[in-house]
Amino acid sequence: MQKIFITGMGAISSIGSTVDEHLNALRSGKCGIQKARFFKSRYAEDLVFGEVPFSDYQLKEFNNLTSQKEITRTTVLALNAFKEAIHNAGISAELLKSDRTAFISSSTVGGMCYTDELYSDANLKGEPSNYARSYEGSDHTWRITKMFNIGGVVDTINTACSSSANAIYMGARLIQTGRADRVIVGGADSIAKYTVNGFNSLMILSEKACKPFDEHRSGLSLGEGAAYLVLESEDAAGKKHKIAELNGFGNSNDAFHPSTISENAIGPILSMNLALQMTGIKPDLIDYVNAHGTGTMNNDLTETRAINTIFKKVPPYNSTKSYTGHTLAAAGSLEAILSILSLNNNELYPSLRCESPIKAHQSRPIFEFVRKELNYVMSNSFGFGGNCTSLIFSKCI
Amino acid sequence: MYLKDLSSVSPQVTYTEEFINGDYIIYSKNILSVIEPSYSEIIPASLLRRMGKAVRMGIGAALPLIERNEKINGIVMGTANGGLENCINFLNQIIEYDEGVLTPTHFVQSTPNALAGQLALMSKNTGYNVTHVNGPLAFENAILDAMMFLEGASNKTSLLLGAVEEISNYNYNIDLIAGRYKLENIANNDLITSQTNGSICGEGATMFIVSNDANDALAKIINLKQINFPNQIDLEQLLNQFLIENDLIPDDIDLLILGNNGDVQFDSWYVLLRSCFPANMEYVYYKNFVGEFRTNSAFALFFATQLLNGRFHNHKGIQGNFRNTPKTILIYNQFEGIHHSFILVQSPEPE
Amino acid sequence: MNREEVKSEFKAHLITYLNLLDITPDQIKDDEPLFDGDLGLDSIDSVELIVLLDREYGIKIINPTEGRQILIDVNTIVDHIVLNRVK
Repeated sequence: MQKIFITGMGAISSIGSTVDEHLNALRSGKCGIQKARFFKSRYAEDLVFGEVPFSDYQLKEFNNLTSQKEITRTTVLALNAFKEAIHNAGISAELLKSDRTAFISSSTVGGMCYTDELYSDANLKGEPSNYARSYEGSDHTWRITKMFNIGGVVDTINTACSSSANAIYMGARLIQTGRADRVIVGGADSIAKYTVNGFNSLMILSEKACKPFDEHRSGLSLGEGAAYLVLESEDAAGKKHKIAELNGFGNSNDAFHPSTISENAIGPILSMNLALQMTGIKPDLIDYVNAHGTGTMNNDLTETRAINTIFKKVPPYNSTKSYTGHTLAAAGSLEAILSILSLNNNELYPSLRCESPIKAHQSRPIFEFVRKELNYVMSNSFGFGGNCTSLIFSKCI
Repeated sequence: MYLKDLSSVSPQVTYTEEFINGDYIIYSKNILSVIEPSYSEIIPASLLRRMGKAVRMGIGAALPLIERNEKINGIVMGTANGGLENCINFLNQIIEYDEGVLTPTHFVQSTPNALAGQLALMSKNTGYNVTHVNGPLAFENAILDAMMFLEGASNKTSLLLGAVEEISNYNYNIDLIAGRYKLENIANNDLITSQTNGSICGEGATMFIVSNDANDALAKIINLKQINFPNQIDLEQLLNQFLIENDLIPDDIDLLILGNNGDVQFDSWYVLLRSCFPANMEYVYYKNFVGEFRTNSAFALFFATQLLNGRFHNHKGIQGNFRNTPKTILIYNQFEGIHHSFILVQSPEPE
Repeated sequence: MNREEVKSEFKAHLITYLNLLDITPDQIKDDEPLFDGDLGLDSIDSVELIVLLDREYGIKIINPTEGRQILIDVNTIVDHIVLNRVK
């Protein structure tokens, strides 16, 4: 079976517009969760968000798209990260056109990020808005496919908060089964009234910046962003710089509840074990876990339980959502990138704002910056509908 | 990949044998809503009360398969839009109550993977679980995903593979202002030959049990291919390449199932496709049964499987040129000339 | 509106808001626990109930602990409505 290498990465979130800026933010403990500057909602005043610090217009300006009124914030975030990833991997326009180049993206809010316009269009109020043909979940995928003439398999996945982890999974198997030589994988989401009100109605939004794994955590902070990785087969990568290897991936369903994880963490334990099995290593070789760590009562307790069940000696773990907020469909691929930054720099970054760790378990997340030799890292993503995915990456020496 | 069992909830009476046995409903309006089975016998009231139409009909189509087949190893779904009614209900609440206190059920149920999650929950299935939302190719991507999963799996692994799409007033409105539906009323029976712009709107849930085990299979999905934003030459080349990759020549195909949806702007793609085959090639349409919606190629696969098994001779809804029970079928569908897919289906080889 | 009238109105709202199919108001007992009882309500329903109280009676429940003390059965909720309703 073909090995899978990461040869390019691109990311944008509240803590940076490039992968390098993300690394700097992690190193300096910079948190992107604060009062929103551009998001308009009655909650903009009351809550904090991991908002990308640019207006829609600015983002379009960076990407020379100001004349295209139908382009949504989700699409322009996606495009920003996509371009960095393919540039980083040195994928030429000609290669993108090849039918051996695939593109697997993901989003939850997709083109529905402008809630008011969608309301008017869906209820036939007034003239159709600029976005009448932009609402589908796959809208950003198709716009990018068209811009870059991508010639191979194109797909969009939505498994809620584990979406882009599953995009990585799908892309990896296209390479493993010989259906593609290279795949650009990831996801994008923008902050929208729709999701803010949705999570708020479930009473799982924190008023202040989220405190993953703290005993007194009070919910998640929503973020936004996009992150893409270029996966290539060993043959396709050739002699180019390989950033990391994707060794294992596992997906399972918790089969418990539409919006919470089971107390026994059935799904998370299964997905982590499946990823370990595929990698073919014992759990004690995992040097770091980038946890899903949303900051909700339910997730953090069950995930801590899962980690304590799988690992006899619990490896260092954190939630980088304490920096970026929960970027929903982008979270899986963004956190894969942040995990790889830890891996390649041999650095562990503290989980922010965890003052008193969850009492039910002995373990606590990383609380200070540590330099340490890392070889294998795991990244977890769990979503509504019980969807659980774990990924394992290793160094390329 | 072998197809072992199938079930459909559609604007025809497909959840019983009525449709297969010749029944054909002709609608006089442009919205073809599903005819639903009675759910109260199969879905507990405590769950049913929260379900939107997409989840409900998906479960209505899937549960009989889960019940009459051995343990399945995972669930792979395709849906362009998922539970839109719930989605827009929640959206309307946001605007009408000015982001006040809102009910969460609509939000949780609006995520397109709510169906796959609910199916896992109801069948206690902790296996692989993915939902593809890639617009008009969402079901094709689900097939591809299932194929790859089964290739890497141990013997006798099986999956629930399916697609669901619902019509709500809202997505009808959005597609209407996007120019995708006809402005004049037309019966589904007159759809294919209508010669005007746009199509008519349908919905449905179609479910399959697929496996890497050939025993008792109804059909074999040989392969599939997608192409996006092609010109006509690209499509011809892709077809030739696809046939060669599967060791076939045009003469080997017994029947084409074509996605003509009555939108005169895009009929030329089907003319082109047919011109790549011998003039006497048999072909049938399927959108006259169910209307246009993003994942109706799942219905085409349901239809193809029935045709491979000798059904639909002398069915009064059949339109096209169809005489002989086929052994090899090519399904071709396209969406607005932009997204195109081929699905190649065969009778399972004799053991 | 007397307490009995409030109660029957509340039961009707309960059925509508929670979409309790095949259940009539007289099947909901006044002292039957709403959660973990025959009705089989869960945490999402508790949020739906909070929305119901806000929209129909102008009662705001923000603190989950407060919620747990009020959302026990029909009696406790109706008592709370009678005392605290603002519409």
